[in-house]
Amino acid sequence: MAAFAGYDMPIQYTSVKDETIAVRNGCGMFDVSHMGEFMVEGPEAHKFVDFIVTNDFLNAGENKAVYSPLCRENGTVIDDLIAYKLGPQKVLICVNAANIKKDWDWISSKTEGFDITLEDQSDETSLIAVQGPGSEAALKKIGLLSKGDFPYYSVSPDNFDGTEILLARTGYTGEDGFEVFCPNNKISNLWDKLIEANVTPCGLASRDVLRLEVCYPLYGHELSDDLTPLDANLKWTVKLDKPSFLGKNSLETLKPTYRLAKLSLEKGIPREGYPVLDGKGSKIGHITSGTHSVSLGKGICLALVKRSDWPEDKSFSIEIRNKVFPATYHTKPFVTGGHK
Amino acid sequence: MSHNVPENLKYTKEHEWTLIEGDVVTIGITDFAQSALGDIVFVELPEVGGNMEIESAFGVVESIKSVSDLYAPLTGEVLEANAELEGAPELLNSDPYKNWIVKIKISNTTELEQLMTPSAYLEHCNSIE
Repeated sequence: MAAFAGYDMPIQYTSVKDETIAVRNGCGMFDVSHMGEFMVEGPEAHKFVDFIVTNDFLNAGENKAVYSPLCRENGTVIDDLIAYKLGPQKVLICVNAANIKKDWDWISSKTEGFDITLEDQSDETSLIAVQGPGSEAALKKIGLLSKGDFPYYSVSPDNFDGTEILLARTGYTGEDGFEVFCPNNKISNLWDKLIEANVTPCGLASRDVLRLEVCYPLYGHELSDDLTPLDANLKWTVKLDKPSFLGKNSLETLKPTYRLAKLSLEKGIPREGYPVLDGKGSKIGHITSGTHSVSLGKGICLALVKRSDWPEDKSFSIEIRNKVFPATYHTKPFVTGGHK
Repeated sequence: MSHNVPENLKYTKEHEWTLIEGDVVTIGITDFAQSALGDIVFVELPEVGGNMEIESAFGVVESIKSVSDLYAPLTGEVLEANAELEGAPELLNSDPYKNWIVKIKISNTTELEQLMTPSAYLEHCNSIE
């Protein structure tokens, strides 16, 4: 167990390897109740959320989920989030636990002129992420999804133990899966039912391996108060053709400082903070997240590399304890998740 | 937490075991250590012929979630390093007492007095839980 964002979080239950494999091949679950939930309601709920995020929320279909950075006017990233279009006047925003207060202060300061109400439901809401190719079957086994399934990156209300809950087909593993938003008083029961359905409990360590294998950024590592989405290869989430949104003016003209590189090692494990070198041995960046990939059986990492120093010959190496190891540059994520 | 502490070995606070045979000492990590580390995925071994000094780092063991230095339990010259671990570091999880890390020739036998008996080591493990 380890302290994180005011919660005592499980790092692993049995084995990081076994938990990672369970999610890639079967079904695992994560207690991510520490994450934050803000509810936006009112006639201009869609318009407001579209204004505060960089991605296109307005044109997303009913019941769709949208991943987006949340930026300041100068383009730097406050957090990354998923916004769920629950209804014509209702949007749920799910944010990182460590950023709940910062996000709340920012978002609630931007509501002027919008016909909306904003509520922080983080303390009342628990969240279990059920992830892996077997997740649909697992939810059906415990009586959920009785109305049938629904597409990836969308939401559907459901009923568990006489209480309305929310199923979102989203996650942080690259696999098919669901995030189940549920009131606190039902969450232990839900967890126990999923255990009975043979879902593997998974800790934060396997969650980090899984997200890194599919190259999803993690706030505080690839994203931070000092970086813009363009530094972290998230240009696809910045829709400059939207009429207006927070950060637009800056992001239109800004030249990013960094570029994110995906690197792997045949020998050794790249870790956060290790220097990244070019073919001549000059330091050109540093690792933001690194681990041992359970799926590939080797070291993988994401590294922020200065664009001005980007080696055109793709010759990268990593310095580990004063020794230099040649790294392989990847254009695609290390692992292709099986999400639909 | 695992508490397999064989009677024929001596131990350190840093969770290493030593098998003493004259001036040749075999060194590995304990069951407690492998269990606390979790899935071990990388082992960095010292060079054969090199020297190691008591309490200084001589190698590294990495699990998925952490990087840990190996501290020399005794001063001596590295006679052998278990290269099998480089290709199969998980052997340290499956049998930490069979899968040794290095064999050294010790140069200062008085250091042996600092090692812990099995019962003292077991008490040490219980005290950190």
